[in-house]
This record gives sequence, structure tokens and C-alpha cells, in this order.
Amino acid sequence: MDDSPNSQTGMLVETREAESLVPRRSRGALLRAVFREERLFLVLSVFIGIFSGLAVVCFRFAIDWCRIYLLGSGFTLSPTRLLLAPSLAGLVIAVLVIHVFPLARGSGVNQTKAALYIYNGYIPLRTPIGKFITAALAIGSGHSLGPEDPSLQIGAGLASALGRRMRLSRDRMRLIAPVGAAAGLAAAFNAPISAVLFVIEEVIGRWTAGILGSVVLSAVSSVVVMRWFLGSESLFRIPAVQLERPSELIAYSVLGVIGGFASVAFSSGIATFRPWCKALPRWTQYFQPAIAGLLIGIIAVLGAPQVMGAGYAYIDEAMHGQFTWQMLAILAGLKIVATLLSFVSGTPGGMFAPTLFIGAMLGAAVGGAEHVLLPHLSGSPGTYALVGMGVLFAGFLRAPMTSVFMVLEVSGNYSIILPVMVANTFAYVISRALQPVPIFDVLTRQDGLDLPSMEEQREEGILRVEDAMRPVTGPVLDAEETLDRAFQGFDEKSPDVLLVRLNPTGWSSISRQELDTMIKEGKGGQTLSSVLAGRQIPYLHPDHPLEMALRYVNRWQLLPVVNRADFRKLEGVVSEHDVLGRYRDFGEG
Amino acid sequence: MVASEKEPGLRFYLSREPLILALLSALAVVSFLAVSGLSRIYHAQQRSLGNRWFTRGTADLKARHFELAVTEFRAALLYSRDNYDYQLDLAEALLGLKRTDEAYAYLINLWEREPENGLVNLELARIAAQRGETEQALRYYHNAIYAIWPGDPEVQRRDARFELIEYLLAINAKTHAQSELIALAANLDDDPSLHARVADLFVQAQDYEHALAEYRVSLKLDRHNPSALAGAGRAAFELGRYDLAQRYLEAAVAANPNDAKSAALLKTAELVLKMDPFRRQISVDQRNRIVIEAFAAAGERLKSCAAVGNTQGSASSAVSTPSLADNWAKMKPQITEQGLRRNPDLVEAAMNLVFDIERQTNTACGSPTGIDLALLLISKLHEGN
Repeated sequence: MDDSPNSQTGMLVETREAESLVPRRSRGALLRAVFREERLFLVLSVFIGIFSGLAVVCFRFAIDWCRIYLLGSGFTLSPTRLLLAPSLAGLVIAVLVIHVFPLARGSGVNQTKAALYIYNGYIPLRTPIGKFITAALAIGSGHSLGPEDPSLQIGAGLASALGRRMRLSRDRMRLIAPVGAAAGLAAAFNAPISAVLFVIEEVIGRWTAGILGSVVLSAVSSVVVMRWFLGSESLFRIPAVQLERPSELIAYSVLGVIGGFASVAFSSGIATFRPWCKALPRWTQYFQPAIAGLLIGIIAVLGAPQVMGAGYAYIDEAMHGQFTWQMLAILAGLKIVATLLSFVSGTPGGMFAPTLFIGAMLGAAVGGAEHVLLPHLSGSPGTYALVGMGVLFAGFLRAPMTSVFMVLEVSGNYSIILPVMVANTFAYVISRALQPVPIFDVLTRQDGLDLPSMEEQREEGILRVEDAMRPVTGPVLDAEETLDRAFQGFDEKSPDVLLVRLNPTGWSSISRQELDTMIKEGKGGQTLSSVLAGRQIPYLHPDHPLEMALRYVNRWQLLPVVNRADFRKLEGVVSEHDVLGRYRDFGEG
Repeated sequence: MVASEKEPGLRFYLSREPLILALLSALAVVSFLAVSGLSRIYHAQQRSLGNRWFTRGTADLKARHFELAVTEFRAALLYSRDNYDYQLDLAEALLGLKRTDEAYAYLINLWEREPENGLVNLELARIAAQRGETEQALRYYHNAIYAIWPGDPEVQRRDARFELIEYLLAINAKTHAQSELIALAANLDDDPSLHARVADLFVQAQDYEHALAEYRVSLKLDRHNPSALAGAGRAAFELGRYDLAQRYLEAAVAANPNDAKSAALLKTAELVLKMDPFRRQISVDQRNRIVIEAFAAAGERLKSCAAVGNTQGSASSAVSTPSLADNWAKMKPQITEQGLRRNPDLVEAAMNLVFDIERQTNTACGSPTGIDLALLLISKLHEGN
């Protein structure tokens, strides 16, 4: 309910009734408990942030150590290691995932959503531990996956474990996984705003003040911890960003269109090959990550070692013009292939970093090609790479708001917002048109779960009171009328209940039967206001969600729908029959 | 929320919340310390790997193994992405491989971080100069001249200015080069080779006056420097101060007998001094003999030029030389010792004709040599008169 005065009146009526049902002492205890738990939850969010930040720092160390010891410390890696490291690591990962950490497989985002919507916030502690070990091994050995999604799941898992130890209520337990997820993602990205937005946009799906504070606190504290240990530098060196002429937005639109198609190709690949791999005989699952690793190793040996691992170093190079546009385009294509191989084979790891990699390469390639055709364009390869990252984020992950803020937060440059918004819009629209189900929902359905789709939630139509209300058919009584006079107002065609306009404000109602009884009791000369004292009924506004009407219509036969500017002006009425009828029509529609 | 579910939690928080928060804080502190330990190990390893690859890269860069150096510096950057020195040396190695665009990307990034870095500005200036972006090149060169340099900043700044001057001379911006040279000369140490180098650049900028002054300073510090002597001789020669040129060039040739250029110049200077009939302190007879010799030489030059013009069909020689030849032929009978003694005004008329012949044949038939060159130089010397 919103906080307009009339709405508050409506709520007041309900609260008074609710209060009368609860004993005074128990009511006080309940309020104290709610208050204390809210406060504790906020404090706990800070601790979740700290522990998630520490875990993500260790995760980063683990990935780097795996890389150094498995692939080598140099820039040019030996072909033997390139082939053996991801293959052998794939075998180990398969055994671990099948026998020890079965839940480490799959998307951390979806598992956090499942914890929120299905398991009451429960994530076994074994899951983040498994994710930590297997993802570090996979990314460190060169599988084309990123550390963000595992970090998100590690944060969610730690938060869930902490919530269980604290014996939080079911409501709080449900919310604690997203709080941890935000902390994990914020530390992995070094971008608290994007992490908060992503969790709100893709995991929780709604903005509520209760959860927002906790998510922000955990994200900020995890980033502080991460920066304490790893420094405050962003994931890439950000080049100078400039947009000299608005007409250059057309060039970025082209990037948006190409990025949209690339996103569709990427997500279609996953949607097609993942179930195919899962349908293969069970024994093949022992070898799938190894085969994927071997194929990635072959790509690396053949001249594109950049596709291995998260690839942030190469995103940085692409941003600073270290590759030709042809090479950038090849790398974008090969990264899609390598990530498909890693992900569909069930190797634990995330798709955020590969998405950013593909976007950066594609962006810089498109920018480079456009520069060849139109040398006067002012955008640097870095600008196009940054915009490209946002484009893939919007097109592939379908997180349009996060995609814009992520680029802004990472670049720290407001002037890039226009290109990003334009390009992202194109990519998002194309991706939605060609691939109606977002990738996270595709993965959920492939896993046999039915989690709410955040994109569908964002866009589903909301029924409002105005959709169910009907015009006033009978007379509206005035509170100063006598009962006798009011009774005369009822005729054959009048409804059984009439609304009464109170003075100076407020509404009530009276039925024909009540009126008849009162007149028989000899109260016919009394005014309606005197007999209806303390019987105010809630009133609604046409723009209120229909859900709100549903709360009242079972207690009051007829509810007034009044103008927001003049509470005495009746716009229509609504009854239980009207509301249910509208919902029925909506469902059939 | 159901009230019965709430009650255990409520009692729990009321009784133990402070204790739990204290425990959580303690756990956070312990975890923090543990991760700090890990972090120290991690960062030490990263530093060590970065240094190891950087050391290898530096050695390969010195040995001009640029390809190896590039991969080693890139490896070093994996462990310290923002390390300034690693990036700078990588850019140097890339420049060594002529991968200018990649080097530029690193350098411009370094420049954004430290716009006052001398070496970065100098490298950017070189790249801009290579790309023909004169304005940018000049901007970066000037930045480099006034930038912060490690080690001996004065030497580095001076070298940057030398490079800028050489660039200006290469693009034929002589006036700009002269002003830079004047600024450079004003702040030079007492190093004869530096003054000689500046003087050489003044010569290239065709500012012979300043060149001569710098050569003199150089010679003051090292009077036997053959190249400074030769330079001073050439500067004096270009200024038309042939007696001074003769002295310097004699000394230069004496100091370095293999200096053919100075020897040739000396010979010309001697001829100029010998063939100039208007110089003071010579007798009338001597002057008349010089005029006769010059007149004869001019006649020869005219004939040879006309012959070349006829064989090559040169239009320019065909136009002017006939009238000069007529004048020369008309005057020739009078140009004798007796004729000149009888009519001293003929000296000037004869020499004017000689100068006209030398100038026009110089234009039509190319640069003269020997006595003709000397006469041409004498004509320039007395042009104002």
C-alpha cells in the first residue's frame, strides 16, 4: 500500500482489526522480535559481506595459483601444458562434481534463486566449498569460464550457512541467500552498484526497502574487504572515453545490432548443446569436461590462447588497441565456442567473464572495422570494447539495467552512458525477439525447476482497481440524512447496499436490511452519521493494484473508488464479484 | 510469519545476541588474519614472478631481442598490471619491433597516468614524428624538454631538445630550429663537443653567425679540435669572411690533413682573397692583373657554357649568353694592363661584366668551380655595392 493519506486510512482500519485479534503482551513481543530481527539482519549483512569478501579473495588466490602451477607463470605457454592442464583438470573436476559436490555444477544465479523460492534459503555448505574448489581448478587450468558466478554462489552459500546458525526466521532465511550473492558478486566484480542491481534485477526481482539495505551493506562491506587485499584497481585499465558527435551513436547502434545477434548465437548454442550433453550416457559425464578442456587447449595451441580462463588481461589489451579488428572478431567467435564447450560439459564456472570478453572483443572489432570505413569516428577501441561488454550483458544475460550501470561503474565515465544505452537497447530488443526465453530461465527449465522468470515478472501486466470497478448504479446517501429518508432512496432497482458519504470525509455503507431493522427499532428519525459512527469503510483509488481491493472485498460488500484529488468524488464502486470476475477474465485472456 | 515459529528465535536473540555478535566479530578477525597471511604469500609470489620476468625482459631488451622481451614484459604485467616500469619497457620493446600502434597504446596510457614523464613524452614525440603528426610531435617534444626525468634531468632535457632540433631541421622548419638552438646554446655546459654539435646544427639551420660564435666557444675550450676548426672555417666562409675562413681552414687542414672538404674550401677561400680586385692594400698593377685574369676566366666560362648550351639546346643559356658574349668581346681589347692603367674606370666596368657572366652562367650551366667559383663569391660579396 502506498503512503497517501487515504491509503493510510484504509490500512488503519485493517490494523485496528488485526490489533484486536492479538493479546496486548504477545503483540509487544512480536513487534520487539520483528524489530530486533531486522536490526540483527542488517548487522548480519555486514558480516556476510566480510566473510564473502574474504572467501572471494581466497578464491582469486586459488585461481591464480592453479593457473601458475598448471599452465605456467609466463605469457607464452607451452603447448603440452595447454593441452594437458585443462584436460586433466577436467577429469578431476568431473569426479569431484559427480561424487563429492553434485550441486557445484550449474549456474550460481539459478541456485541462489532456487534457494530463495524453493528451499527457504537453504544452500548446503558443501555447495560453496565445492564451487570454490572445482571452479578454481577449472578457471585456473584454462577452461573458458569466469569467477563471478561461483563467487556469487560462494557468497550465497556462506550467507545461508550463517543464517542457519543464527536460527533466522523463514522469511529472513529466504532473503539471506541473495544478500550473500550480492556480496560475492560485488567482490568478484569490484563493482558494488552493479552487484546490487544484478541481484535485485535477476535474483530477487523486486525492489523492497527491507532487503535493499541488507544487500547494499553486504555488497559494500565485501568490496571493502576485497579492496583491502587486492587493491582498488578495476578489472581493466579504462581508456579515455569520448563521444564528439551525436551522429556517432549510429556507429554504436550497429554494435548493438551485431551484439544482439551474437548474444542469440551464444545463448542458442547453450540452449541446444547443454541438454544434448546431459542426455548422453552417465559414464560420459566423467569425460565431458576433459574433452572440453582438450578442445580448448587445441584452440589455444592453434594460436588463440586468449580464450582460456576468464581472459581479463586480454580484455584490457583489446581496450588499448593491442589487436587488429580482424583478430578481435576471431577471438570473439572462438570465445563463444570455448565457453560453450566448457559450460555445456558441466564444468563449474560462470559466464559473466566470458560474456564480458566476447562483448569487449566484438565491440573493439566493430569499432575497428568502423574506423577503417569511417576514419573520422572519435570513439577509441576501448570505448567500443566497453560498450560491447554492456551490449553482451544486455543481450545474453538479459540484465538491461545492470548492463548500463556496470559499464558506468567500471569505466567511471558518465559520457559513455548514451552509447551504452543505445547499443544495449538494440541488443536487448533483438535478443528478446529471437530468443524469447532468457538464458537463466532456459537453464532453470533444463534443470527441471520452475523458478519465476524475472523478465516475465518485470513485464507482466498488473491489474488495477480501475480494471474491475463499475459505475455507481444506486443513489449515494449523505451522512446527514435521516434513516427514514435514506430508506426512501431504496427502490426496486437499487442494490442491496448503498454507500454513505461521511462528513467531513470518509465513507461508510449501509444495507437495506440494516436500515429496515433500525427503522423498526424506532430509529427512523436519527441521522445516518449517528448510527454509522465508527463504521468507516476503506476506499480505493482507480490506480491501486487490484490485489489491494482483494484484501477488503470479503469484509465489505461494496467499496467506493474515489478520486485522488477529491476523496468525496466517487469514480465507481467495486465488489468481491467484480474483482473475482476481473481476475477470471484475465486468466482466460 | 507464525507466532509460534517466532518465539524460540525471540528468546534466542534476547539472551544471546551480544554473544553471537561477539563471536562473529572474533571469527571475522581470525578469518581476516588468516587471509592476510595468505595474501602476503600471494603478493610476495606475484612480486617475485613479476620481477623475475621483468629482469629477463630488461636483459633481452638490452640485447635487442625485442620479441622475447615483449613476451617477458607481458608476463611481468600479468603479476603487476599497472606497473609503470613494466609497461614502459614493454612499449620500448614494441617500438623495437616497429609495432608502433601497440607501443603507442601503452605509452598514451602511461602519459595519462603521468603526463610529466620525460621518456614517455619523448617516445610519444618520436611516434608522432614517424606518423607525420607534426603538431603532436612538437607538443610531446616540448613536454619532454620540460618533463621530469630520472637520473640526470639536465642531460636528458638537453638530449630531448637536440632531438627536437634535428626533427625540426628534418622537416625544414629552420626558423623554429634556430630559436630552439639559441635556447639550447644559452644553457650549455663547458663541453667543447656540445658547443661544436650546437654549432653544426646552427650551420644546418643556416644561422652561420651563431654557428661561428659556438665554434669559437668550442675552440676556446679545445683549440685543436679539427672538426670545430673546420666548422668555424665553413661558417666564416658562408658569412663571406674569407680571411677568417682561411685561417680556420688552414688550421683545420693542418690538424687533419685528410679533411678534403676543408681543403677544397680553403682553396676557394684563398682564390677569393686572391681574385678580389677591390680588396684594400693592393697596388694598381696588382689590381689590373687580377682584373685581366678574371676577365679572361669569365670569357672562358662564357664559352664553355655556350658550348654546353648549344649541345644541350638549353634555352636559358641561348637567351642571355649572346649579349654577354658580345659585351665581353667588345670590351676585351681594352682589358690590358695599359688600357686599364689609362682608364681606371674600366676596372669596375670589367668586373661588373665578369660578375654578370658568373651569375648568369651559374644559373644556366650549374655551379662553377675554381676561379669561377671564387669570382661568383666575390660578386656576392660586393653585391650591395
